[in-house]
Amino acid sequence: MNAISIQNINKHFYDPVEFQVLKDISFDVKKGEFVSIIGKSGSGKSTLLYLLSTMDTKYNGNIAINGTQVTGLSQNELAKFRNEQIGFVFQFHFLLPEFTVLDNVMLPALKLNKRPKDEIEAEAIESLHLLGLKGNEHKKASKISGGQQQRVAIARALINSPSIIMGDEPTGNLDSKNTNIVFDVFKELAKERGQTIIAVTHDDEFADNCDRIIELSDGKLIR
Amino acid sequence: MNTNQKIAKVHLTSRFRQLLVAILSVSFGISMYIAMNSFMAGVNNIQTEITFTSMSHIKIYNDLSEKIAPIIPKPKDSNTVLMVNNARNIQYTQGIKNADAIKNELLNLPEINGVALQLNEKVFIRNGVSNTSASLSGIETVNENKLFETAKYIVEGNLSELDKRSDGIILGVGLAQTIGVKTGNTISVSTSEGISKTFKIIGLLESGSKGADRTRALISIQTARQLFSKNKSYATDILVNTYDYNNASEVAEKVRKLTDYKVESWQEGNSQLVSSSLLRDILAIAVSLTILIVAGFGIYNIMNMTVNEKIKEIAILKAMGFNGKDVIEIFLTQSVAIGLIGGLVGLFLGNMIVQMLDIVPFKIASHNTLPVVYNAKDYILAFSFGTIITLIAGYLPSRKASKVDPVEILRG
Repeated sequence: MNAISIQNINKHFYDPVEFQVLKDISFDVKKGEFVSIIGKSGSGKSTLLYLLSTMDTKYNGNIAINGTQVTGLSQNELAKFRNEQIGFVFQFHFLLPEFTVLDNVMLPALKLNKRPKDEIEAEAIESLHLLGLKGNEHKKASKISGGQQQRVAIARALINSPSIIMGDEPTGNLDSKNTNIVFDVFKELAKERGQTIIAVTHDDEFADNCDRIIELSDGKLIR
Repeated sequence: MNTNQKIAKVHLTSRFRQLLVAILSVSFGISMYIAMNSFMAGVNNIQTEITFTSMSHIKIYNDLSEKIAPIIPKPKDSNTVLMVNNARNIQYTQGIKNADAIKNELLNLPEINGVALQLNEKVFIRNGVSNTSASLSGIETVNENKLFETAKYIVEGNLSELDKRSDGIILGVGLAQTIGVKTGNTISVSTSEGISKTFKIIGLLESGSKGADRTRALISIQTARQLFSKNKSYATDILVNTYDYNNASEVAEKVRKLTDYKVESWQEGNSQLVSSSLLRDILAIAVSLTILIVAGFGIYNIMNMTVNEKIKEIAILKAMGFNGKDVIEIFLTQSVAIGLIGGLVGLFLGNMIVQMLDIVPFKIASHNTLPVVYNAKDYILAFSFGTIITLIAGYLPSRKASKVDPVEILRG
């Protein structure tokens, strides 16, 4: 079964003038694959990622994730689906600044509400330790460094053991040391836990080390 | 506490100053509502208290009949012309002859608190060369005092003295001044039928109403019956007080079944009092609701700012799988919390303001401080209006938050 299967995706922007960002894109991503989406600025790669993320629903075509047809689901169904199936890592970490590091990591699992709180907390702490954040659990999210914040965001993306992790330039804001840490975590997740990773990146080195590269140019799939 | 409420709590407590301002604006609105209404109710009570010092809840008297029977029945056939000139409605009987019987019947009604008979007539009072007209009331001193607390307004002498001396009279202070007499002096009273009798002034009355004090004179009802040559049970007015003056109209309706004389409740005779107290109530509610609504705008503003400030976080929550309903719950919980805390503080603050008003010195009627009323209804209404308004003011920004498109925000 394919983790992601998209067919004939077309997307237009209408503001300020009509413009076709994505032109008839179709591809499949296998389970456990580590895929990079690359392309020049304006080639439509971020737009494509947000379509895959199920947050952007204004497109023509068909998207299926883990065999579920997500095209046509309601906003509430999609929110529930994201909560269970998809983890996000954004370019600018985007943590909730008023919450502690631990709360930030736990929130998606508390929302899912399928496990007791103690279990979630234990897992969140373990995950933070794995990512080298021991001792920062009870600090405010706004009080740690950018690299640390990005790793917290990764821990948050992993808490519900989603089948797919999506990154919008997850290393775009990090130095090479932190980039390597993030990359290694992703690689390990794909290999050992069988989680599918899709990351939009500008970083050629990052892309070259992935299992597969999807390249876009002017809204068309060229690789 | 579920996850959404926990998020709401963190949002609230992380910006303490804004929370404080929001809570205070609700508290202010609610406390003002309570203070205004308690004060207005106090003023209304004083107004009625003053009114009922000289007026009973229900008055029974002998009036011209309103139903006038035709003198000659209308002719049946159309060829006859009927002409009656100068038809008049004449009162054949004066006053109420069997007042005691009616009084006993009235006292059997459970709603009635007290009944007093009065014999009121216009007389001339003469002291040497100075004379003036006055309205003389023959009263039952004990019952009169029960209804109107007349003894409280006797500034010199004693009300019960009237029963002991058949030649005793109590004059209004203005009236005594007009004819230049003091307690202890004698005056002569002449009726419209030309009968004169000498009375000794045994007291002075100051009711607070200048107009009444300038014309009023009190004697015992037995003396009055004698003076006007009336029978033992005679009275011109039967004055009735009920336990609750707001029920006077309903009780008057019941009394009408017992007697053929004219029965008039105070509302019928004094519609201006009813409408002025209604107007004061409307004014108080309008002003205090306005204050509450302004407080509502304050909350709307604060919540709107919060939503704008947190728009990125809302987008993240949505990306993580929180749906529109969750977002509404998060922000609505915050405004409900503000409403409830502000409401409780407001109740407390309102009660404090009312207690402060209660000790401000102000001389009115028998009170020495500003009149206020402690009414549970005001507190309940203030609290419910306050929370409803915060709910509405919080719902609009919450709905806006729930419609945030995460893609737009996260892509920048």
